Amino acid sequence: MSPAHHQLPRLCFPPQPGQLTPEPQTVSTRERSSLGRSPLSGPEAGTLAMGRPEEAALLQLEEVFSATLARIDSLVLQPLLMLEPTDPQSRECLQLLQQLRKSSQQLWKVTEESLHSLRERLRHPDAIGLESLLLLDGADRVLQVYMEYIESYTSCVVTQAFQKAVKKRSDYWRSRQKALQQQLWGMTSEGSMDTKLAQVLCQPLTRHVQEYVSLLRSLRDTAGEHRPACELVAHATTLFENLQSFMRQALDQAVATQGLWRTLSSRLRDALYTPARRLLQDSQDMPLTVTPLRAERVLLFDDILVLLQGHNVHTFDLKLVWVDSEQNGCVFHLLTPEEEFFFGSKYRQDQVVWQWKITQAVCQALRGKKDFPLLGAGLESSKPPICRSMAYTFLAEGRLCQATYEGEWYQGRPHGKGTLKWPNGRNHVGTFCQGLEHGFGICLVPQASEDKFDCYKCHWREGSMCGYGICEYGIDEVYKGYFQEGLRHGFGVLESAQQAPQHCKYTGHWERGQRDGYGIQEDSDRGELYIGLWQADQRHGPGVVVTQAGVCYQGTFQEDKMVGPGILLSEDDSLFEGTFTRDLTLVGKGKVTFPNGFTLEGSFGSGAGRGLHAQGVLDTDALPPDPSSTCYRQLGLGIFPVESRWQGVYGPFRDFVHTGCPGDLQEALLGFHVQSSRELRKSQEYLCCESTQLDDSAGRMEDILEELLQHRDPEALQKCLRKALSNSLHPLGKLLQTLMLTFQATYAGIGANKHLQGLAQEEVKQHAQELWAAYRGLLQVALQRKGQALEEEEDTEARDRRVHGLVLPLMLPSFYSELFTLYLLLHEREDSHYSQGITNLSLFPDTNLLEFLDVQKHLWPLKDLTLTTNQRHSLVKDKCFLSAIECLQKVITTMDPREKLEVLERTYREIEATVSRVLGQEHKLPMDDLLPLLIYVVSRAQIQHLGAEIHLIRDMMDPIHTGGLFDFLLTALESCYEHIQKKDMHRSPR
Amino acid sequence: MMAIRELKVCLLGDTGVGKSSIVCRFVQDHFDHNISPTIGASFMTKTVPCGSELHKFLIWDTAGQERFHSLAPMYYRGSAAAVIVYDITKQDSFHTLKKWVKELKEHGPENIVMAIAGNKCDLSDIREVPLKDAKEYAESIGAIVVETSAKNAINIEELFQGISRQIPPLDPHENENNGAIKLGKQTMQASRRCC
Repeated sequence: MSPAHHQLPRLCFPPQPGQLTPEPQTVSTRERSSLGRSPLSGPEAGTLAMGRPEEAALLQLEEVFSATLARIDSLVLQPLLMLEPTDPQSRECLQLLQQLRKSSQQLWKVTEESLHSLRERLRHPDAIGLESLLLLDGADRVLQVYMEYIESYTSCVVTQAFQKAVKKRSDYWRSRQKALQQQLWGMTSEGSMDTKLAQVLCQPLTRHVQEYVSLLRSLRDTAGEHRPACELVAHATTLFENLQSFMRQALDQAVATQGLWRTLSSRLRDALYTPARRLLQDSQDMPLTVTPLRAERVLLFDDILVLLQGHNVHTFDLKLVWVDSEQNGCVFHLLTPEEEFFFGSKYRQDQVVWQWKITQAVCQALRGKKDFPLLGAGLESSKPPICRSMAYTFLAEGRLCQATYEGEWYQGRPHGKGTLKWPNGRNHVGTFCQGLEHGFGICLVPQASEDKFDCYKCHWREGSMCGYGICEYGIDEVYKGYFQEGLRHGFGVLESAQQAPQHCKYTGHWERGQRDGYGIQEDSDRGELYIGLWQADQRHGPGVVVTQAGVCYQGTFQEDKMVGPGILLSEDDSLFEGTFTRDLTLVGKGKVTFPNGFTLEGSFGSGAGRGLHAQGVLDTDALPPDPSSTCYRQLGLGIFPVESRWQGVYGPFRDFVHTGCPGDLQEALLGFHVQSSRELRKSQEYLCCESTQLDDSAGRMEDILEELLQHRDPEALQKCLRKALSNSLHPLGKLLQTLMLTFQATYAGIGANKHLQGLAQEEVKQHAQELWAAYRGLLQVALQRKGQALEEEEDTEARDRRVHGLVLPLMLPSFYSELFTLYLLLHEREDSHYSQGITNLSLFPDTNLLEFLDVQKHLWPLKDLTLTTNQRHSLVKDKCFLSAIECLQKVITTMDPREKLEVLERTYREIEATVSRVLGQEHKLPMDDLLPLLIYVVSRAQIQHLGAEIHLIRDMMDPIHTGGLFDFLLTALESCYEHIQKKDMHRSPR
Repeated sequence: MMAIRELKVCLLGDTGVGKSSIVCRFVQDHFDHNISPTIGASFMTKTVPCGSELHKFLIWDTAGQERFHSLAPMYYRGSAAAVIVYDITKQDSFHTLKKWVKELKEHGPENIVMAIAGNKCDLSDIREVPLKDAKEYAESIGAIVVETSAKNAINIEELFQGISRQIPPLDPHENENNGAIKLGKQTMQASRRCC
């Protein structure tokens, strides 16, 4: 512990003089040339090389100082360290003294080095230039050592370390008093022992620096101006002058601080004391009023600002103090994370001093090192940065109580990227604005029980969720959709976990946290799908219920119950009309229409275990109703206007376009690009990418708009749209994805019901229109950004042409499988009749079939076959009109209605070509001849579900073709399909 | 530019009365530069001026065989006009005509213009249906009637001109937006969903 046995001189390693002595002449030449000086400066070099009286004086000075330091070490420092620490205070005291001795040793070491360099120079004045002196060349290093010593020394002063040490061994020091007095000659010996020690440890240093300064000054004045060493001399002079100021200030601060600790109550001292802390300003010296907090005393330290008010001590970390540069009279404004103050003074002067001092203290605290030479003076900017990166724990009651924010600040508020952690485990990582969550953020909220978290990955605005977000509630539920003011609002999907006992999924609109507006709810447990309107989280308004078993209801709901008149379509195509109860059974007056046309009118009821019972009149005379009426009945048509059905999906896109497609809002308005949920689960990583993503998205938006501008002629536009729609990062692609989501939620699974085909097909067409409108919106923004003239508003006809000709074929594949399934179900019965028909017709050999269908003999394509009858039969089988048949079969290879129609046209051309070949001349087929031939080709092509195909083509066909060639061909195909279903087509071949 | 109105015309009548011959004659007589695609003689188009408008006839042939009779509604739905053809040398074909008229009255589009064409008037020496009968019948149902000869190109033009005249002119109010409004489109869409 006691380093007394160390012999100080052994600590230094002065280089052996001979080692550093190269040949004088060479060195000086080399030095000169290396410094870029011309040899002409030779004479001057000569005069300097002779050495100066100042150098000799410096040498002497250093020798004396070195000896003084060694003496102080053995007489004062070593005995001071012989302290048995008994309590924390004295332990701290010892530590500080140890530090002081270390600094002192460093000081001695650097003095020895300086000494050495001076000796070398004096020994070889010609060979070694002035600039080799440590005091000049290494002035900064020397300065550093001095400052460290001062730091250690003042800490001891502040802590009253000498006093404590002397007190512990007062006998020893008393006995040494005389010896000390003698040894430390020429020093004032006033006051107590500890004061003496303090002086002994400081005075030689101050005096030494003073000597340095005067010698360096005179060296500077005598040295010529052109020498390179001159700059060094001037530099060193300034440094040591500055060091004097620094020392004065440090000592003043230390004395003031020590004085403060002495006078403060012990409670306050314990709260505020640290050895390194220095008092910069005290309102007792310069009065200050603080509003709104009425503090009676303000203490400005070098790291904190303290307001004392009664028993309360308010401490503010200077790193998180902003001084508002806007000043108003004799008052200035201070901002801290939780509080704001106005500091004022009677005298403008005092106010300016306070403001300046606080500002400089903040600067110094942020820089993390003492200003040199004086507070506020130096090279660095004297204005603290407004944006800072800091950690802070909020104390005030409220939302943020005990929460720790770590991240970027602006004017006293979290602003920029940061993390906010609450003691209960809640954790928000994201961007902040004016102290509130704003922009993308991920928030984890622990659930009351278990080790589960709710995870909100969301866009925030002014502290609450706003815009698109994904929320995982533990592992039980997930919400993906829009928020407003922290509540689900707009379009969103809430789904319980697949494995949950009561799996439920709602896809639709929300208002202030509740299901409201058009929405689809699937209840897998009950096997029910509700399509309809909601209000205040309940089914309310017109609605349709489809069950797994295929039973459908349509009626009006009130507070979750179906009330009043409604209809029920049973799986066997019976129609129930009447009043329904909550559990969807018919009760009261009603009417049942059976598929065979019988009707039962009367009063219905149901009892436990008795099923449905009725009293009424069964009318078996009634004419069979149009058998198609129940079977083909479409639900929901006209009840849910297609334009307003998915407003919550179209709306954000429109907002996005209206605000001019800001890249940074793309995510908030259009939703995230999510590849897999696992990807998002790595929330931290996602956040890391996010900052670049934001810049990216703005850039990407530019590219996207540019691309739209460059591809405006029809062909390029089609390609461009195709690309956009298939790209899930593109706004149009995102919109399409969300639309697909709603479509699947409605029409897949339980929703795959023939009575919903009408809803589905009008929805697809509406989506096509909206996608085109979305494209037009983006295009307008692109034009606007380029300052180009906007596109004129399209007329309805031009728009319809683009929607049907361009957009529908591009987006239809995304909906095709669900949509086609509905057509399939709707036309199941006809398709099965048709199937029987083609199966039967397939039994006919070609010639028999041609004959059976009354195809005129001269059109039979048999003439070019000169074979025997038997051969002919075997060969001809499945050969007649083969090209047309194969062509027609291609109709199922495309989803584009237009392409399907083109297939039909090509099929016709093939028939015509075959006939023309048979007749040896061009022949225009009248319908009398064409229809039988077409029936032949259709029956041989054996296309499955032809009815579904035909109806889908007709519904999705561009209305521009109505009455035209494609319409004709489709009608011809439809008539073949109808004909094949007929009974007489089921006759077996003769 | 004159507005083009597309008019769907449906051809009805027995096999062999010369339905498609009439259309072929009508379409071919006029040398048409922009030949629209056709489906043989089964689907043809021809544009003729009518007042301030152009009428584009979209002519749909039907199969005349009795067995295909039930398929006809698919073809005549949405038609602005129907040309019902009989053979003046065959009384039977005139009977069939009457059946078509009756069906159109009952199931055809509202306000459909009906034109009766007594074809093969070049063979009037073996006529079985007197012109007077046809005229009286046409008058009773408010239809146009002409005797035509596809072979000698008699009255073919007149037949279609007569149809053009019977088509009510476009509502001027509707015409304002310079769009070529297609007659029968609305009715077609309304009646399409009959499955």
